[in-house]
Amino acid sequence: MDSECVSILPRVCEVLAASGSSLPDDTSLEKLLDWLTTITQTGVSLLEACPCLLDFLSNVALNAAPGPGILSFTLKLAGLIGGSEDGFKALEECSVLELVFAPHHWQESGLWEDPSLRIGWIQGLKAILQHSKALGFFVQADLLEPLLQLQTDSSLFVASAANQTLAHVLLLCQSLSSVGRDGTNKRDVEHNGVGVETNQNCSGVVSKVSEYLNESLVPRETSRLPHSQQILKLLSQLLVQVRPPLRETLLRAVLDSLEELATKSCSQLTLPLVDVLLAANSSLGDTDRIPKQRIGKLLSLVLDTKKPTDVVQAAAALMRSRQTDPDHSAHAARVLLLPLDIVTGVSLVDKDSTDEELRILMTEQLQSKTCVSMICMCLTNMPQITVMAPDRLPCPQSLVVRAVLSLLRLCRGDCSSSSAGCVGVFRYVTGSSKVQKCAMEALSALSKSPEVKIGLAEVFKLLTEYLNCPLSEPSVLQKSYKVLINWIDVCTDLSCISDQLREDLTQAVRKRACDTRWEARDSTVEFLGHLAEVRSCRTSGGEEREPSNALLGGRAFAVPLLKEALQDPESYVRASSIAALAQTLTPSWQQGAPVTQEQVEIVTRLQEILSQDSEGFARRAVVKYFIAWFSSCSSPTSCPLLVQHVPAVLSQGAADLDWEVKLHTLELAELLLDRAFPDPAPPHPYAVTPEGLIHGEDEESALLGSLNGVVDRGVVSALFCGLVDCDRPVALKACQLLLRLRAAVCPPTASAADTGVSCKLPGRSWAQEIRKIQGTNTDSEGGSAVGSEARGEAVEESSVGVREALRSLDLDEKLSILTQSSDHVYNSPLSLLQDILTASTAHSHPTSEPGQEVIVDCY
Amino acid sequence: MSSNSSPPPSCWTVDWTPPLSSISCLFLWCTGEIVLSIYLWGILWSALVILLCFYSLCRISPRLSKLPGWISKDGTVNLEKELKECAGRVFVDSQPEFCLPERELLDLSTIDVILISNYHCMMALPYITEHTGFTGTVYATEPTLQIGRLLMEELVNFMERVPKAQSATCWKNKEIQRMLPGPLKDAVDVWTWKRCYSMQEVNSALSKVQLVGYSQKVELFGAVQVSPLSSGYSLGSSNWIIQSHHEKVSYVSGSSLLTTHPQPMDQSSLKNSDVLILTGLTQMPTANPDGMLGEFCSNLAMTIRAGGNVLVPCYSSGVIYDLLECLYQFIDNANLGTTPFYFISPVANSSLEFSQIFAEWLCHNKQTKVYLPEPPFPHAELIQTNKLKHYPSIHGDFSSEFRQPCVVFTGHPSLRFGDVVHFMELWGKSGLNTVIFTEPDFSYLDALAPYQPLAMKCVYCPIDTRLNFHQVSKFLKEVQPLHVVCPEQYTQPPLTQSHRSDLMLELQPPPMPYRRCAVLNLPFRRCYERVYILPELANSLVPSEVKPGITVATVSAVLHSKDNKHTLQSVPKPPPAAPSKKRKRVIEEPPATLAPKPLLSGAVPLEAFLATLQKHGITEVKVEETGEGHILHLQAEDTLIQLEEDGTHIVCDNNEPLRTTLRDLVLRFLQKL
Repeated sequence: MDSECVSILPRVCEVLAASGSSLPDDTSLEKLLDWLTTITQTGVSLLEACPCLLDFLSNVALNAAPGPGILSFTLKLAGLIGGSEDGFKALEECSVLELVFAPHHWQESGLWEDPSLRIGWIQGLKAILQHSKALGFFVQADLLEPLLQLQTDSSLFVASAANQTLAHVLLLCQSLSSVGRDGTNKRDVEHNGVGVETNQNCSGVVSKVSEYLNESLVPRETSRLPHSQQILKLLSQLLVQVRPPLRETLLRAVLDSLEELATKSCSQLTLPLVDVLLAANSSLGDTDRIPKQRIGKLLSLVLDTKKPTDVVQAAAALMRSRQTDPDHSAHAARVLLLPLDIVTGVSLVDKDSTDEELRILMTEQLQSKTCVSMICMCLTNMPQITVMAPDRLPCPQSLVVRAVLSLLRLCRGDCSSSSAGCVGVFRYVTGSSKVQKCAMEALSALSKSPEVKIGLAEVFKLLTEYLNCPLSEPSVLQKSYKVLINWIDVCTDLSCISDQLREDLTQAVRKRACDTRWEARDSTVEFLGHLAEVRSCRTSGGEEREPSNALLGGRAFAVPLLKEALQDPESYVRASSIAALAQTLTPSWQQGAPVTQEQVEIVTRLQEILSQDSEGFARRAVVKYFIAWFSSCSSPTSCPLLVQHVPAVLSQGAADLDWEVKLHTLELAELLLDRAFPDPAPPHPYAVTPEGLIHGEDEESALLGSLNGVVDRGVVSALFCGLVDCDRPVALKACQLLLRLRAAVCPPTASAADTGVSCKLPGRSWAQEIRKIQGTNTDSEGGSAVGSEARGEAVEESSVGVREALRSLDLDEKLSILTQSSDHVYNSPLSLLQDILTASTAHSHPTSEPGQEVIVDCY
Repeated sequence: MSSNSSPPPSCWTVDWTPPLSSISCLFLWCTGEIVLSIYLWGILWSALVILLCFYSLCRISPRLSKLPGWISKDGTVNLEKELKECAGRVFVDSQPEFCLPERELLDLSTIDVILISNYHCMMALPYITEHTGFTGTVYATEPTLQIGRLLMEELVNFMERVPKAQSATCWKNKEIQRMLPGPLKDAVDVWTWKRCYSMQEVNSALSKVQLVGYSQKVELFGAVQVSPLSSGYSLGSSNWIIQSHHEKVSYVSGSSLLTTHPQPMDQSSLKNSDVLILTGLTQMPTANPDGMLGEFCSNLAMTIRAGGNVLVPCYSSGVIYDLLECLYQFIDNANLGTTPFYFISPVANSSLEFSQIFAEWLCHNKQTKVYLPEPPFPHAELIQTNKLKHYPSIHGDFSSEFRQPCVVFTGHPSLRFGDVVHFMELWGKSGLNTVIFTEPDFSYLDALAPYQPLAMKCVYCPIDTRLNFHQVSKFLKEVQPLHVVCPEQYTQPPLTQSHRSDLMLELQPPPMPYRRCAVLNLPFRRCYERVYILPELANSLVPSEVKPGITVATVSAVLHSKDNKHTLQSVPKPPPAAPSKKRKRVIEEPPATLAPKPLLSGAVPLEAFLATLQKHGITEVKVEETGEGHILHLQAEDTLIQLEEDGTHIVCDNNEPLRTTLRDLVLRFLQKL
């Protein structure tokens, strides 16, 4: 702990105890508490380190003069200190404990009305309840009663905090009881009397809380519904965390109430009730005395509810939990597929296996506006349905695919394949982009089903229609492309795709590349990029081909479109087209194919974008393009076009105004460094080291050759430029890379004065900065010739020895500075304490220096 | 109140004429003796009729002129000279003819007033105003008149360009027509089809148009006021309010809530309508105009990028302004900066210039530009920068400046006449070119039929900005008319898409549907008429308060009715009788001015009346309650007194003194005016 902080803290405590109104900002006390909590977590005793805190607590507790904010802080601090047994003892001895945690003390002074004080009380209580003594105090002082009352507090925040604390109390009881039962090494157990008392306390608390939960679960009036919801949430949270026997105790206490709730089927409670049942179901084992079947029965009861919205919600929750037994999953799947069955007329759910009444009610419900949300809920659970075992599904997955396709057709206004019984639903789903998007997601999930091949042509046809449709929203188009990629990705055989379909798709993609909405154009170029990455498949001729070739004519189709998109007025589209070009050309780069005139044109255009484009997205994409190109080439040096353009990219990228462009430029530089100075393979323990290899002359000349290479390509300049960049991530990355370079080219044994490779420093500001740092460091080491430049004299382009520079830049110190966050000084505890003091001074002498504003750090 | 006014006004009737998408109807506003006919203008003609013809095509295209003539399969009917067969379809080789609005039900000479909604639906005006005996007035806004004139002028020009030819009439013979293949076989009233009018007829028809401004109230014979409101569909397009002092009928036709170039639709003035007649909804309810505009642009860009030409068959006014504005923004986005855009029409120049000068009829954004000052439409800049060039025809300057690839906007959208025909012939053979249809009036497949087989790509992007069903529902919720009257087609889903409940009007209470030639009784009656009292007569009135806040006075006056205005005037005093020996003729004698009898008002309270009877010795009274009041049976006198809400009767046989006594007793309880 910082000694300066310790020395200031007493004054801060005085200020806080005197008045809380002069705090620099609302969060000061929270930050102070966070700092003190951090100290506690390191194992330091707060009272030993800062004895003034005890005085502060006593002062404030006895004199409730400061505002509720300070009081709330005091209560939380008391909890923090009392959380350790020693601290607890100290608080007990100076009678602070009973005073601060006695609600009537605050009620009498009228301060209990303030929610912040109640929050402080609850959180303080939660913090202190860490050991058996605290539990003893909790029971003796009868604090459970006020805690239970706070569960229904008018302030939602207070009620929620009280809720959490009640759960904490139970979990403490569980841990203390288990300690006693297991007979492990705790002091409570050694002292038999204390152990018995703790157990009694625990069982007393558990029994009271269980009783409370049971009574509060079933709402007797509508106004109590939110409270019941809260109790259900608490219960589900507890059931996940508690172990036997507490779990059984709790469940036994509430089971009847849960049954009553399940029978009542109250809409607002359906979801939390399902959560409780699922938590109970997953936690109960075969050995538990409460039969799992009873919980299962309750789950079935909820799934048999006759309220369509409730039952769909329950089924969705059940499906999402992924932990129910197969019967319940099958039941939930039937419920979730029923709306699709009704709307599309595709027989997904056998009429005999569903309740006729539910079918009728759901058909009615689907005629109303709520049908959209209900259908969407069913569709969003499709991923869970697709992974279910086929024998648990009410129908083959191919039928589900058909139903989703049929729904998508309905959304386009095509009713030809729909059910005649649900006419009202068309009004709401036709043109609904929400349903379309959910259905697209569902279709995407269904692509993973093993039966996908069945509907491939049909899916392609529909997606092409969507891509062609002028009414499709850009977000729907984007999803359509995504689904198309997913289906192509899993498909090994595209022979079922007819020429006409291929032609339609080509036209659609070509048209969307000219769309008036940039989002549509963006999705289109992205699609072309993704398509180029899809692995090869079989075509109708039986040959293996890349899907982009088989469907759209490959690069000959995509590259002209993408080249055109490089001129797009929207920067996102330009960026996406650059990325897509990289994806499209990657295979040819990997194969080392000769560079075409088309590629030369592209690179020229990319250079233009990097140097002239006003938007960062496009420039970032250009650098990433070169990264992709460089990474894909097995031998970049054999690609003259790449080698020719890399220095320009590094130079322009390093001088960019956008920090991400600069960072990507450094990543490109890193790749060049990797190639030039590959990590030596870890030596085999028994390998024979060739003589003269280590630090031999050959190696030195090879090293110099590599260094020369990276200098010539502008890597070192880019790194130097990055090192003095005002953006910390850039400087950090550059520093790390320079350190790597130093490790590679400056062996510790070599002399500091060796010369060899030098790098030109331009007359630009960054080079001046480098000279300045270099000058300062060499000055401190005994003077340097570059000192004059550092003093601001006329700067011209000059050279610097790379090795010398790497040694003299003090990169290690720079790294340690850069690793710290840029606001570490302003966020330090010392700064916080000083701010509190300064604010208090300003508050106590508001007119002492008129006209001089006190500027406080803003967090 | 004494009055000599006419009987109470009779009902409203609506009746409907024309074809297909048709939107015209006739109003009869009856006020007893005077019947005012208001013709609310509808669609111009049936699109189908134009599409059956391809006379001008044959004159232009040698390919088409060589097509085989049609002979029936059994060889009995030979119409080689009149009918041509092309790609399996049969066309009439004749000058285009037009199917006119319904005329059988109406005597057009009795029409008093024609209200025109917009320039698209006034194309048949010369057929109505000329040669039918029509003597009424036509009301329209200035842009409607001017742009309507341009469209008619263009049409006449197109027609005059092609050489005259004899009409094809043989096929119209009922016996022969029955044997023809469809759709010729199914064409109705073929003998009523007319050739295009002349420019002289256009001028004559338009001279009958009286200009009105938005919200201007025009008094029609004192019976009603009519007032146009902006309908937001096209420059100067109007909805009409027809109202009397106590009734209001709105005629909503061809309206749009989208933000395009015209002034936005005035909805608030349509509130509180007793009846709202709704027609002219979009013909393309499933084609969202924004989506279509996007589709238009992307197809255009796609074609140009591939080195092809784009042909846009369109009218010379209307959507073309929006297309040009959209392209103005899109050109640079799609890197089409150097592509020339040509607008070819005999009225191209006038249309582009007219649009710029009707500032007060434009949307707010465009109006504000005028004050900068800037031209409201960006096509001015396109013209200035030479990106858009306009020509009256393909001959002359155009042929020397024409450069490809390019985009051409030209008419007629039916592809049966106009410069578009040349471009279809020129570009139809190449798959690189595209024809993009934007006008919703014609089926693009039918339009293309004579050009088959066609290598050119065809794209259908109908841009119809008129209200769709969803917008109508919201609009009607907003204006809340008491009753909605609309064509029957709007009240049910399209026949081919019976599931599409979103493509129909669902209102509460349900709308009153009408069908062709149906006569409807609108669900309200005219109950009140406003009467004016002259000041000197009003001064002579002696009001008395019958109830707090209600004051009445008797008035004796002469009701003077003229032009549906009713005025109460003082009864003229008889001139002093001049001493004359001559015997006056009876008819010259002034009416005798007898003092009017006092008017009675009030109710007879039963209990008090019984008490009064008792005071006067009538004790044996049996009271019987009836639905309307009470019957008092004076048993000893064998007399009945019927006390009812609107009358009192004393039934007393042969006892005049008793009747008089009883009458006086009753009168005690009533107030005299």
